[in-house]
Amino acid sequence: MTALEFHDVRVRLGRGRHAVEVVRGVDLEVPSGTVVGLVGESGCGKSTLARAAVGLVPLAAGRISPERRRAVQLVFQDPYSSLDPRMSIGAAITEALPRSGRTAGEVARLLELVGLEREHAARLPRHLSGGQRQRVALARALAARPEVVIADEITSSLDVSVQGMVLNLVREIQRELGLTLLFISHNLAVVRYVSDRVAVMSQGLIVEQGPVDAVMSDPRDPYTRTLLDSIPRLR
Amino acid sequence: MRRLRSPLGVAAVVSLAFLLFAVVLGPVIWAGDAVRTDTLALTQGPSAAHPMGTDGLGRDVLARVMVAARSTIGLALLATAVAVAGGLLLGGLPAVLGRRAGRLVNGFIGLVVAFPGLLIALVLAVVLGTGGRSAALAIGLASVPAFARLTQTLAASVAGRDFVAAARVLGVGRVRMLVRHILPNIGEPLIVQATLGAGGALLAFAALSFLGLGVQAPDYDWGLLLNEGLNRVYLNPAAALAPGIAVVLAGLAFNVLGEFAAQVFGGRAAVARPSGRSARPVPGDALTVTGLRVSYGDAVPVKDVSFTVAPGERVGIVGESGSGKSLTALAVSGLVEPPGVVSGSIASGETAMVFQDPMTSLNPALRVGTQLAEVARVHGRLARRAAWERAVTRLDDVHIAAAARVAAQYPHELSGGMRQRAMIAMGLMGGPRVIIADEPTTALDVTVQKQILDLLREVSSTTGAAILLISHDLAVVAQLCSRVLVMYAGVIVEDLTVERLLAGPAHPYTRALLASVPDMAADRSLPLATIPGRMPSPADPAAGCPFAPRCERADEHCREELPALEAGVRCWHPVDRPVASDAVRAGESGRDDLRVNGVGS
Repeated sequence: MTALEFHDVRVRLGRGRHAVEVVRGVDLEVPSGTVVGLVGESGCGKSTLARAAVGLVPLAAGRISPERRRAVQLVFQDPYSSLDPRMSIGAAITEALPRSGRTAGEVARLLELVGLEREHAARLPRHLSGGQRQRVALARALAARPEVVIADEITSSLDVSVQGMVLNLVREIQRELGLTLLFISHNLAVVRYVSDRVAVMSQGLIVEQGPVDAVMSDPRDPYTRTLLDSIPRLR
Repeated sequence: MRRLRSPLGVAAVVSLAFLLFAVVLGPVIWAGDAVRTDTLALTQGPSAAHPMGTDGLGRDVLARVMVAARSTIGLALLATAVAVAGGLLLGGLPAVLGRRAGRLVNGFIGLVVAFPGLLIALVLAVVLGTGGRSAALAIGLASVPAFARLTQTLAASVAGRDFVAAARVLGVGRVRMLVRHILPNIGEPLIVQATLGAGGALLAFAALSFLGLGVQAPDYDWGLLLNEGLNRVYLNPAAALAPGIAVVLAGLAFNVLGEFAAQVFGGRAAVARPSGRSARPVPGDALTVTGLRVSYGDAVPVKDVSFTVAPGERVGIVGESGSGKSLTALAVSGLVEPPGVVSGSIASGETAMVFQDPMTSLNPALRVGTQLAEVARVHGRLARRAAWERAVTRLDDVHIAAAARVAAQYPHELSGGMRQRAMIAMGLMGGPRVIIADEPTTALDVTVQKQILDLLREVSSTTGAAILLISHDLAVVAQLCSRVLVMYAGVIVEDLTVERLLAGPAHPYTRALLASVPDMAADRSLPLATIPGRMPSPADPAAGCPFAPRCERADEHCREELPALEAGVRCWHPVDRPVASDAVRAGESGRDDLRVNGVGS
């Protein structure tokens, strides 16, 4: 079963003569309970695709399902700007919960799920570290009971040791809840680590997709090859 | 509390006390004197009984000024309240309405903001009829457009931030969005503006009453008193001066309060003196740093850093945020801003700096070539033409195609990679001995990153300049550098070659850092290694090794005494580097390495 489906999606940004087609006909499926990684460089349209999926930018053409609001949730790159600085962690998570389920117990359960303490609910974002904020952002997305979570560069603004923790958490939660995840990153190693399948995006188009190991070990598209060759390697 | 003791804080407190005293006690103390007519002392000058003289009916002018404080300030505040309420409503509308209606409201605000406020107030005062309240309404309404514009601009800047987008994805309604997410985040500048606006309203009010459009006799406020006083200014100047002084003082008081509020909210700190720096080239070394320490009050983000870089050597400093690596780079180039205090000695030849974001480090208003040429004109004292030619040559050196054309372009016309190349070319203009590159590729794509790293390596080998590369990314450092300094909590914990780094570092922190990076060979079935806990804050005065609280190998000794940097490692219990034949066994017995993605063992 497919939880998230992009069908010939086109997105234009800007108006009139200055409009640029940033996403130029993307077909992509994220099967239920799997993690699909989306890699590409800045400006390739991957973040625009994510924003289109949650209705933050309008489609010029094509279709994204599910269309229901809240069914797709987005976790943003920068945990320092994605949480309201004046809202306590508890209030932020409560706001995301469905109206019927807004209880302190549910907030505590979600905090625990992402490895935070019940006591964190009373704190403001500025009292938390970057990694902790990103956990809150994840809890907030999960609170909306989404069918799909899109993670857009969620570790890019974190330190490497914190990045490891967040990646471990994402994998744990994904397996525990059978979560469907579209994991967007420019970092191939990170995408490779969390994803089952991977799609490579360039200039508004998906140029290659397939199982992670196949794409990484035997890239078909020249662009994917360039990308793989450019990665600085440690060992 | 410290701010209250600053000159501005004292002035604000005194002003507030003055206003409160006049408003609360003025009418209570002086009500009797203000209405008592004395037919024996009509229009008299200052005397012991009447410090500011008397008016045409023999009433005490000072008493009348003090009594009028309550109505004058009260009406000014009423006008401000009208302005704030109207401004918030009108300025908040675009955030609540859809895109099209919002644009209409914005246009309307832009239109009314173009009219002078006092003119609108005058017209409204005439339309609404004379009297204190209608004048307050007129002044309030006249200030609505300015306040609405501010609200709308501030709201628009907050509305562009991620947390508002996140709330939209969650289906949060527009009204709730405005009330819960936008208004609380723009409250501070609005409060400052309202306080300053109250001072303006006070002046406008005095002006209206003075013109006879405001408060009507037998009621009176400062404006009306000023009017009366001026009629008899040749008989008793004090009668005109007293309400005038009151208006000025109250206006100043509001302004001081507003300034103070701005300072408190804005967190503007007092500016300290810049710190000194010695820059004497040392023969044999491109850069020598000894006992470098950078402090901000009690916080010491760089504690004790010493290292040398040989000419042509490429050294990387790696560390996580808060390790002090970027501050070290800034201190070495003499760019630490006050209130930061730098001590220790830094000796280097000519340095060039390459920053993370070339868009903010290049001047957007100047052509690329002009900026490069400026360096040659200042440093090399070249003529305009020669400097421009050298700029083009340098752009060519960093492999910018059609360098002459690019030199004539503005920074925003270039791509990120091109801008970073231009930045490097600019660094080369001064003939540097050391190029300090602070996260030069963090904002760039991997394919461009590779090109920039290759360029830096090439520049270093052709010009003999040493490179100090600051990065959070071990892989980037390993790609460009031959030697790595690992920083943690303001100290260098390990100084090692890239070969050693890859073969297995000795410091537990370096090993943990290396293990926590997922690479293209990481085992996907295992969790990544992590480092539990957090880096100590720069204000933490704890003795001992800063990594001890997070370190598995730490004991009492580690927590009590900071080890010295010996043989490249600052650790009491360094990990033994595996001897070639032991490597396999070490890999098997290391339980940590079995459970998680481990260090290259």
